[in-house]
Formats: sequence, C-alpha cells, structure tokens
Amino acid sequence: MAALIAALITGFTTGGLSCMAVQGGLLASSLAQLIEKDLLGKRGGRDQWNIGLPIFLFLISKLAAYTILGGLLGGLGKFFQLNPLSQAVLQFIIAFFIIGNALRMLNVHPIFRYFTFEPPAFITRLIRKKTRQAGSFATPIMLGAMTVLIPCGVTQTMMAAAIATGDVLSGAALMFAFTLGASPVFFLLSYFATKLGALTEKYFTRIAAVVLIVFGLLAVNSGLNLLGSRYSFSSLAEGVVSALEVRHQGQASATPGTDLVLNVVDRGYRPKRLHAPAGVPLTLTLVTKEVHSCSRAFLIPALDYGVILLATGEEKVQIPPQEPGTILPFTCSMGMYSGEIIFDL
Amino acid sequence: MKRVELRVMDMHCTSCALRLQELEDLLAGVIRVEASYRKGKMTVTFDESKVTVKDLVAGARKLGYTAVE
Repeated sequence: MAALIAALITGFTTGGLSCMAVQGGLLASSLAQLIEKDLLGKRGGRDQWNIGLPIFLFLISKLAAYTILGGLLGGLGKFFQLNPLSQAVLQFIIAFFIIGNALRMLNVHPIFRYFTFEPPAFITRLIRKKTRQAGSFATPIMLGAMTVLIPCGVTQTMMAAAIATGDVLSGAALMFAFTLGASPVFFLLSYFATKLGALTEKYFTRIAAVVLIVFGLLAVNSGLNLLGSRYSFSSLAEGVVSALEVRHQGQASATPGTDLVLNVVDRGYRPKRLHAPAGVPLTLTLVTKEVHSCSRAFLIPALDYGVILLATGEEKVQIPPQEPGTILPFTCSMGMYSGEIIFDL
Repeated sequence: MKRVELRVMDMHCTSCALRLQELEDLLAGVIRVEASYRKGKMTVTFDESKVTVKDLVAGARKLGYTAVE
C-alpha cells in the first residue's frame, strides 16, 4: 500500500510535471486545439463543460493503457527473480537514469539528451496523423492510449519499478496509481495549454528537474541500503542523529540468551538501531501488527537472509555469533526502510 | 528532390521532433521531415521547385525553432 501511495504522490508531484517537460505540452496542446476547433467552432462555445470531456477521455484511456502496461511489466518481472544485489543494481540504474534526465531538463550538456527515449519516426508520424484527425471523441481516446509509446522520464522510471514488483497485479496497480496521480496536472495542463507561455513551461521544467534529482538520490540511497552499506544517506543521517542523542536512547539492546525484538511497522523498523552482545548466537524476533507496507519484505543482506513477513505475526531469525564491532544492516526489499544491529564489545 | 540537414539546437524534448514534422503539412513541397532531439537536427526531403531552404528555416521559426543550415 505504501508503494502505491508513493507512486500516486510521485505521479502527482513529478509525473504530471515531467510529462509536461518531456512532451513539451505537445499532445496536450494538440488535444486542446482539437477540442476548441471541434467543439467551440461548431457550437460557438455554448457548451463549455464539453471541452473537458475529451481531455477526460484522453486521461481515462491513458490510465487504462498504462495499467495494462504495468501488468505486462509486472508479469515480465516474474521471470527475473531479483535478489538484493540485482535489486540494488536496478536501483542504481534507475538513479543514473533519473539524474541524467534531470540534467537533460536543466540543459547542462547536449550529451544528456541521450537519457531520453526517442520514439522511432514512424511512431511519431502515426501519432501526428491521429492528432490531425479531428472530429470525434475516438481521437482523444486513441491519443491517450498512444502515450504509452512516448513515456516521459519519470514514467520510464515507474515502469522499471513495475518490473521490479515481479507481479502482474502489483505492476498494474503501481502504474495505475502513478498515472492517476499524474492526471490532475496533465488535465490542467491540457485545459490551459494554450495559456501556458514558454516561461511558465521553463519554470516548471526546472522544478521537475530538481524533484527528479531528489528522487534519483533516494534511488541511490535504496541501492546502498540493499547492498547493506553503512554509507547510505539514511544510515549516515541516522549516525549523526544517534551521535547527538544519549547512548541507547531510542535503541534496544540484548543480553546473552535473550531475544532481540524488532517491531516492523508500516513506516519502517522500530527501533532503527539495536545493540547486541558479540560472540554469542542470537535470536532476532520480528514482530508485525497489521503491517501492509514493503517493510514486511525484510532483508539482512550480509547474512543473505530474506523473508516476507505476515501482516500480523512473529518471525524468528537466528543470527550466528558476530565479531565485536560488527554492524549488521537490515532493510526492506525496496531499500526504502533500513536499520542496523551493532555488536558491542 | 533535395535533402538538407539543418541544426535545430533549441529543441527541448522528444516531442519537439514531432512538432517539426508539422513542416510536412505547413509547407507544400516538403516531402519528409526526420527530426532528432538527441542529435539536435532535422533532415528534410523536399521538392526544390516548390520550396527553398529559406522557407524551411522560416517554417521552423513559425513553429518556434531556430533552424540553421
């Protein structure tokens, strides 16, 4: 559920803007011109409400097309059983792609133009022909479906995330949430396309680029967490925070022969830092209570341990004796939530 | 029939290439426009008895782009 909400927010915050930035409002403005020509021209602007209908149909069609695409990508991901290492590599590729796209949008250097997917000429020609065929509501429906052929940078990133779900329904739900989130901005863009000047577009492009860089860095953070690195941004931030706190405050520790208890909640792991004695075997008990986020997919990369926890329940993990000073990072399978066990002297 | 390659550096997205294809409708005599955002250029195939390179540049300007031979 958390992944779907994140996809919805991503769509709302960057998806719509990125569509505008990458597609330059072309489809939207073509659509707006089509609508104005087709409806306003014929009816003399009498029925203002109908102007929004073709845009609505366009977005519904786009939503359906991307949901189907998400399902297909999720199904494709089933064939690639991703372990933490390959998921980390995927996150780094996504980060590379997102940041490259952001730098392209900021016009840092023409080389970054290669970060965008350029559809073959026959596809753009086909879309252009459909755009010209004004006169019926079939046109916006057709155009909406065709946007799957020219996905923007953020959409392409979400498509990679749909593959990573490895499940038809999850992939479809992810793309549905993302496209739904992007729809309001796209609707407004389409509606006011002709009123948006080049300056406004440039301004929004820059905002979208900055947001993309943040998302790129989050992907790097996820990749580092999946590798069990202590140098992920979240681990470093946690280190700084805990250095400022009184030792063991908000942390848990265990004595030999006792369990370490980690509460798995929707927003991560509590506490994020556990202390344990070195040199003795330990049992880590993972406790869930009505948890529905990706924190249920629990990994300890260094032990090559992974489990999908029940929404409510307990799972015991046997941890072999560790050297004093060892730090054992744990994370969710997406690398979004993380924490660590510190083996004291 | 003539082919000319023009640099268009002020494209800012892949759809700009799509827009430049509109030259096929805008100017009689333009047979085919192959525009690339990545390369920042477009190759135009046209009937030189009906349209000139100057017309192509003017047409691109009308669409909001600066084309340079």
